Amino acid sequence: MAETEISKMRQRPIVRLGVLLISHSVLVSVVCFTAGVLALLLLPVLAKNTYISENALMPGSASSMLSNQEISEANKLIKELTSLSSKPSGAAIEIQGLIAHYMSSLDAEVNYHKFHPQLNQFHPLHFFSSPDSGVMQENSSCSLYGINIVGIIRAPRGDGKEAIVLVTPYNSVKSSVNEALSLGIAYSVFSLLTRVTWLAKDIIWLVADSQYGEDVPVAAWLRGYHTPAFSNLGTLNTETCHDSNNIDVLKGSPNLETKISNGFRRSGTMAAGLVLKVAYRNEIEDSLCIHAEASNGQMPNLDLINIVNYLAVHRQGLRVKVDKFWSLLNSKFLKILGDLFELVGKLVKSLNPDCKFGIPAVDYIEGAATLASSLYYQALGAPTGPHGAFRDYQVDAITLEISPHISFNKDRRNDFLLQGARLVEGVVRSVNNLLEKFHQSFFLYLLTSPSKFVSVGVYMIAFALLVAPLPVVAASLYAETHDLFPTSEKDRSATSDDLSSVLGSWKWLNSAKTTFVVHIWGAIVSLLPYFISHNSNPTANFRMWILLSVASHEILRWILGSPFSHICGRPQGEWAVLKSVTIFSFFIGLCLMSVINFATAEIGALLMVPMALMAHPLKLDIRSRSFKSFLRAICNVILGVISFPPATFFVLKGIFEGSFSGTNVGDFWNWVESLWAWNSATYLYIGMVHLPCWVLCVYILLHPC
Amino acid sequence: MESKKAEKRSEIKQTSSFWVWVIASVIFRLILIYFPQNLNLSSRPEVSTPLTSLRRLAEGYWLKQSSMSPYSGSMYHGSPLLLSLLGPLTVNGIEGQPNHLQCGLLFVLADVVSAMLLRATGQSLQMSYSRSLKLLGLVQLSKNSEMLSSGDIAALVYLWNPFTIVASVGLSTSPIENLMIILSLYGASKRLSSLAAFGWVMATHLSLYPVVLIIPLIFLLGYGPDGPPRKLFLQRRCIKDGTNPISDNFCQQDELLNQSNLPVTFSWKPVIHFLFWVSVWSVYVMVLCGMSVKQNGGMWEMFKSTYGFILTVEDLSPNMGVLWYFFAEVFDFFRNFFLIVFHVNILFMILPLAVRLNHRPCFLAFVYIAISSMLKSYPSVGDSALYLGLLGWFVFELADMQFSFFLFCGYVGVSILSPVMHNLWIWRGTGNANFYYATAMAFACFQIILVVESVSAVLNHDRMLRKLSVTDP
Repeated sequence: MAETEISKMRQRPIVRLGVLLISHSVLVSVVCFTAGVLALLLLPVLAKNTYISENALMPGSASSMLSNQEISEANKLIKELTSLSSKPSGAAIEIQGLIAHYMSSLDAEVNYHKFHPQLNQFHPLHFFSSPDSGVMQENSSCSLYGINIVGIIRAPRGDGKEAIVLVTPYNSVKSSVNEALSLGIAYSVFSLLTRVTWLAKDIIWLVADSQYGEDVPVAAWLRGYHTPAFSNLGTLNTETCHDSNNIDVLKGSPNLETKISNGFRRSGTMAAGLVLKVAYRNEIEDSLCIHAEASNGQMPNLDLINIVNYLAVHRQGLRVKVDKFWSLLNSKFLKILGDLFELVGKLVKSLNPDCKFGIPAVDYIEGAATLASSLYYQALGAPTGPHGAFRDYQVDAITLEISPHISFNKDRRNDFLLQGARLVEGVVRSVNNLLEKFHQSFFLYLLTSPSKFVSVGVYMIAFALLVAPLPVVAASLYAETHDLFPTSEKDRSATSDDLSSVLGSWKWLNSAKTTFVVHIWGAIVSLLPYFISHNSNPTANFRMWILLSVASHEILRWILGSPFSHICGRPQGEWAVLKSVTIFSFFIGLCLMSVINFATAEIGALLMVPMALMAHPLKLDIRSRSFKSFLRAICNVILGVISFPPATFFVLKGIFEGSFSGTNVGDFWNWVESLWAWNSATYLYIGMVHLPCWVLCVYILLHPC
Repeated sequence: MESKKAEKRSEIKQTSSFWVWVIASVIFRLILIYFPQNLNLSSRPEVSTPLTSLRRLAEGYWLKQSSMSPYSGSMYHGSPLLLSLLGPLTVNGIEGQPNHLQCGLLFVLADVVSAMLLRATGQSLQMSYSRSLKLLGLVQLSKNSEMLSSGDIAALVYLWNPFTIVASVGLSTSPIENLMIILSLYGASKRLSSLAAFGWVMATHLSLYPVVLIIPLIFLLGYGPDGPPRKLFLQRRCIKDGTNPISDNFCQQDELLNQSNLPVTFSWKPVIHFLFWVSVWSVYVMVLCGMSVKQNGGMWEMFKSTYGFILTVEDLSPNMGVLWYFFAEVFDFFRNFFLIVFHVNILFMILPLAVRLNHRPCFLAFVYIAISSMLKSYPSVGDSALYLGLLGWFVFELADMQFSFFLFCGYVGVSILSPVMHNLWIWRGTGNANFYYATAMAFACFQIILVVESVSAVLNHDRMLRKLSVTDP
């Protein structure tokens, strides 16, 4: 006895700390989880004001050179476009010709880029490969094609190794006034930039043919831009599609032929991309909406958003917004929280006037709604606009959506054009000053308003607190089972004759096998939609998916052994080891996902960690007949139902939309399909981490102890 | 009679299930080899190092065909023998099939042969171990040790280890290096001196680091396979004979005279044979190499761009080891100093480990391989696959290993995290080299823990044996 005490005394402090944590695992997990949720709710309060980190940018230091002359030219273009698009048919080619003509009349190099829209295809390993792989467009059909118009201004002071890209989506088949306005803004900036002397980076203006969606033409052009045509793959592609030479028709007038080329014109590496859009939103004042989320929750450098925000607010007097969940603005819960935080802030301030903590309740609610949408759109993994395609090539890009005043008429149009064009000019001039890539400011952040952000160092805390209980609980469960069934030497040599005694400390292998089988099943489930997606009815597809998943689960269990058929005795402790392995695998999955897409991991942790921590065999709970265990059983059942991914989806949807009516089983299928159409890592997370963890938790709940 | 029949039946069932798993692993590999374009494994830094990459070998072969030195241009750094062996396979593929198919099939074959050798070695190790346990009078333990056939486990662990699969499908030459190492261990455990010498010479020629294995090989040939500490036998016999255990000297001599087949004595004959064969094989290999590189560059250039390349860590492209980042950061005038420090690090551990574990030469070989695969200049997953396979031989001894679950989770986590970090750094640009290097360091830490824990588990096992053999009648 004394000897063991001494040996305990001798243990190093870090080991003792670990033992202490493990022995109080329940307390630790409750405290950590609550703290994690609290930290998440505190994020809007902890958000810092943005600042421009790169000194070279110098936004707004030069006065705008854009005058009414450019605006009137742009007005002319808009007028011609609207008159052309009001024609019934055949106007598409004429419109494209008109835009190209306008571009080349400004002494810009112009070329047409013809592309074939690719059908959405699922590349499960896309994340791990370079963006260029999968260039080959296998199932593009020749009859479908779009034509982008690209204009390039060569910078007088540059060496042609860098470029800034302006993108205006324009649907030549079904055009609208908005798109004509955005073209007008871009045109006025473009015409100014052909004449300025300070330009050090080439300007590329891409009029993206958006008849197949706004993202497709930009992605196709970028792919073409970054795939050097050493081999004759490009020519091969056009040769396979012999169609009417529309492009030749476009090059009708002979005096333009010198400037408009059919070949791919390139400039240097892209410093930034700006996508311009105009939208009518019935705003009270002129406003600007910034969309920044690219695929898999990647964000452009914060400096890009900062300069846009700075110029829009301080120079042009626009109201800047980012996406937010409007339904959250009326949330009672957030209001109470906001009041509470305001009160705490006041209290802190009365104690220590230097301390800046707490924001007004209204700001808190706004911040929380913005933060929620920021998290959600990052977690979705699908880009929120055409700028998403740029991020795949490590180019920082954002979409600027300018919406005019509600009483928008002819007289205000010039003002509006001037405002928008000056904003774009200012941004281009700032980026033009840049000496290197954007690197000074943050890449990993969440926005709580256009001028406030939460950096990775702060929001990681919330996630770390959420997942911290996982290894602690897993270790404590594992240690418990080992203490329960000690495998001392005498015990082994004397009595036992079965396999488990020989396995010694490797007994977890059986549970690891179960976990592994379930994860393989998860991989199969995530691959299944690849085979059943030709059916167009989402509800039927969903049912098919569920059916096939269950079938594959049964088959796998039959082949690789059912999880409960267990030869080597001692089933009492088995569920605990299984839970421990489950929690560890979930922990690894969450940590991995937090590196790939933080927002997904955060939301996933919120949804699944309680279930993973609580899971306990129902049979044991019912058998023990105490109030506590009964409560735990009920909690487990509720959590078990809610944590099933489709159930979670419908519950959350119901909460955010306010009503459960009109939800359709097919909705989930559509949502999932949108995920894999964008090659989102969230899809893989759901299939290979979240769902297997849920299944394993259900195994534990139904364990026949 | 009945029980014996049942035993035999279960044995047959076990072996048949073993073969099913072997065949399944081969089929799995063949499927993966057929679709390599999707996986693009051969360009992963974890799989193909500058030394083992088949693409570099093809480049070297092309240079040689156009009568240039294969080592010009710092592309190829492997052996010239490998070049003439594998080179033709990289060029002329089977009609209508991808070019790499023949090499892929060769690597699969190498994997299967390695697994068979592992199995045979494991079985002989197990037999000798249980025999020596019986000699010590620990019948129950020896029965227990026979319960798990460690040879089968080692072979299956080697075949189904994702690292091995990735290394052979990813077209790196490490399956052949591993085969040579396993061949030498097999030869030594069966006391086939010439085979052991051939394996050792080839392995050293291919990747230099197996040179340290000469110590365990000599022990293995001299003392025989792994057994309990030799002192136990002496004590045991003295007690049995009823003589006073204090007069150890006398009793030892007595035993030496009586029974020379016991694992107590060091037999010099196979060792001398081994050394003789080593010299024969190394002369042979040198002559072959000399013939192959005679026209272009000669032997000196070959040594400079193979062994020199390994020892001076010229290529600093990222891999899963710990040296590249360090030597990318270190000042140039400290470079030589740290090169010496890092390489002596491996040599430092050789002597103490050899003294402490001389009664378990195979385990000693495992420890050496693990340490060198951790500290070598261009490690790949193939090296880790080898020592994880060897770990299967010691299932019985390592049954009470601590942290086994923790280590397993660590290996899984790191091997998934590493490609993601690489992607973040290279493709997405949101991470940097530190992210990737952090996973490399974590991997090195887990390897260290594995070595430390396995060694301490084996030493604990020895202690337990001593206790039991002293207390048992």
